[in-house]
Amino acid sequence: MAGSALRRLMAEYKQLTLNPPEGIIAGPINEENFFEWEALITGPEGTCFEGGVFPAKLIFPPDYPLSPPKMQFTCEMFHPNIYADGRVCISILHAPGDDPMGYESSAERWSPVQSVEKILLSVVSMLAEPNDESGANVDAAKMWREDRSEFERIAQKLVRKTLGIPP
Amino acid sequence: MREAGIMLISTALTCAVIGNAYYQRKQFYPTVVHITKSNPSMTVIYTQGLILVFMINAFLRKIFFGTLRAAELEHLLEKVWYAVTETCLAFTVFRDDFSPKFIALFTLLLFLKSFHWLAEDRVDYMERSPVITWLFHLRVGTLLILLFAINLTMIHYAYNTTATKGPSVQLVFGFEYAILLTVVFNISVKYILHTIDLQSENPWDNKPVFLLYTELIIGLLKVILYVAFVTLMVKLYTLPLFALRAMYYTMRDFKKAFHDIVMSRRAIRNMNTLYPDATAEELAAADNVCIICREEMVSASKKLPCNHIFHTACLRSWFQRQQTCPTCRLNILRPVNNNQGNRQQNQAQAGPQVPQAPQAPGFNPIVQVLPAFWAGMQAPGAPPPLQQQQQQPQQQQQQQQQQQQQQPQQPQSSGASVQQQQAQSSGPSTSSTSFQNLAASGVPLFPPPFPTMVPLPPIPTPPPNLTELSEEELRAMEGNLRQAVEARIQTLQRVQLLLDAASAMMNQYQTAAATANIPVPTAINNANVTTDVPSMRKQGTSKIASPGVNGEQPQVKAEMNVPIENSSIDNVNTLSGTNGTDVTPESSIRNDVESSSEQEMLRRRRLQKFSAQLTAE
Repeated sequence: MAGSALRRLMAEYKQLTLNPPEGIIAGPINEENFFEWEALITGPEGTCFEGGVFPAKLIFPPDYPLSPPKMQFTCEMFHPNIYADGRVCISILHAPGDDPMGYESSAERWSPVQSVEKILLSVVSMLAEPNDESGANVDAAKMWREDRSEFERIAQKLVRKTLGIPP
Repeated sequence: MREAGIMLISTALTCAVIGNAYYQRKQFYPTVVHITKSNPSMTVIYTQGLILVFMINAFLRKIFFGTLRAAELEHLLEKVWYAVTETCLAFTVFRDDFSPKFIALFTLLLFLKSFHWLAEDRVDYMERSPVITWLFHLRVGTLLILLFAINLTMIHYAYNTTATKGPSVQLVFGFEYAILLTVVFNISVKYILHTIDLQSENPWDNKPVFLLYTELIIGLLKVILYVAFVTLMVKLYTLPLFALRAMYYTMRDFKKAFHDIVMSRRAIRNMNTLYPDATAEELAAADNVCIICREEMVSASKKLPCNHIFHTACLRSWFQRQQTCPTCRLNILRPVNNNQGNRQQNQAQAGPQVPQAPQAPGFNPIVQVLPAFWAGMQAPGAPPPLQQQQQQPQQQQQQQQQQQQQQPQQPQSSGASVQQQQAQSSGPSTSSTSFQNLAASGVPLFPPPFPTMVPLPPIPTPPPNLTELSEEELRAMEGNLRQAVEARIQTLQRVQLLLDAASAMMNQYQTAAATANIPVPTAINNANVTTDVPSMRKQGTSKIASPGVNGEQPQVKAEMNVPIENSSIDNVNTLSGTNGTDVTPESSIRNDVESSSEQEMLRRRRLQKFSAQLTAE
């Protein structure tokens, strides 16, 4: 009997393949290992990330969905809620109890009700509306607050980079 | 590639050094003496030795693990970093014993540790891997036995050395291998449990429990070992800094395991004793999918006090981590009765869920029904004011009190508009109060009816006195989300109907006013009402349709109340607006001459006088 984590991941993969949400593609990198996924996220329209296609990887724990997965962008990102190494810092990816930034209420933390789709949708909305209070990338948060046009310029440069267009 | 390059260079260097020495001395012993006496030569030889050890290590790893996964490699590098740092710290304590043999032993220990970590990762991976081959079992089995044997031998050796030669660095090694022995034991238990689980067709519910208890026991053993080791070290040498980090983590893990076990036991006991099994109807009424594992619930599911249903097994494993409802985060270790009571009360207040037989349409239903309608509006609006008062209690209450004091002094017609402004400024919570006041003080919201009035569609009655509802009805309301939401949508639709009726009334009033030659500010206010209604309905329904992460009913209710109140504010706006124009002195003076009706004139004058008095005051 395969683990319940595996079955749930398979179910989610099936669901995501049958009814893909707009602008999001996700699936296991390798069908033999359902615990490492790759996702492609398109930048939300009307924001400075519009038009970009951002690759990310998701690493699921063996006790998924009881513990949250980890998400990391594999391309270069400049965003207040994304660490320099690409790790995403949003509250639903944190298990209640650990709070790296010390401001999240437990109501917005991980619970088995969440899913890959919800995580990715949250990330899309995070791209659209950065939370400059959490500050995984302090430089980006500061720039977002104080010099929006420069932030947008950098974002546009990254968008072009992900598309392979020279800036 | 890089490794191969380094290896080649090192081998070439070694060959060159040995060749050079042999070329100079021509004989075996002089060559050896030459090499051992020369520091650069020894460096080359040591490097070569180190690289050989690495190669053997890589070879063994290949045999036992095959290709490492990215995550495993990451873990390994992370842990090796700590291990190397701590080894360097250990060197400082035993600098007298420093010798090549010492380094060799530490290197061996490091490599053995790395094998333990890898084995642990591999066994954890069993749970996720869809296929487990025989090769896997063979590898893990041999590796575990081998590690066990090595650990035992090393402990034995360390014990013998310490017993015969007194305490030395062997104390550290003995202790490290003892810790490794517990790790081997832990991995073996996990491996056996996973294997049993894989062999069986059904998910094994008790596996997480066994794992938790294993963790607890191993944690306890480790804590005892660490405490013993640190006390020994402090007595014999000095504070073993290099063991403190590991000791801290072990203690933390042990505490966490202990806490987890206690809390989960309590939660699971609650689940088994207090919460009912979900019945077939409840399963059918909900969407029948366990939100934890996303599989259908056929049997063995439990209903939490918050009405969310899950597989018993899924809940049990969740409770080992947290003792809350996965959907609404209701803490299930808190006293349950309190919660349930509140919830039911909220449900009851939530409003007209039980459809009532529509009242027979009278000649002028609005005048009779409207006060009741306002009262009805207040019923669904009641919980938010309660909540808001709790949040910003004093301010709101003061405002309301002021408002209520002002209420009787205000003249009827302008009172409505003033009050409405207040309602807007003091937020939605007071608006319901103002409706209540309007209704209670019997302000004529509408002028006397016109004879041309068309009969209006039946208007829904407000809910009956909620205390009269029987327990069953309350349960039926609370019973499941979908029905409740449907009932609310129905109510909203009825409210829309009412608003439509009200706007029809306004139209009639205006036509009547037009025939009476009174200029009335036209459809602006009306447009307000009509445009607001669809948007209100849209808001209401979209809130419900949104994926219910917080499927909790009070929240949905609170969200739905806002649009209702907004729209009713608009409604008042229209009403007071038209009333207001009726009274505005300028307009009435202007129209005085044109007014044909005697009655109309009289009324107008009276009102004018009234407002003049008011301004004088």
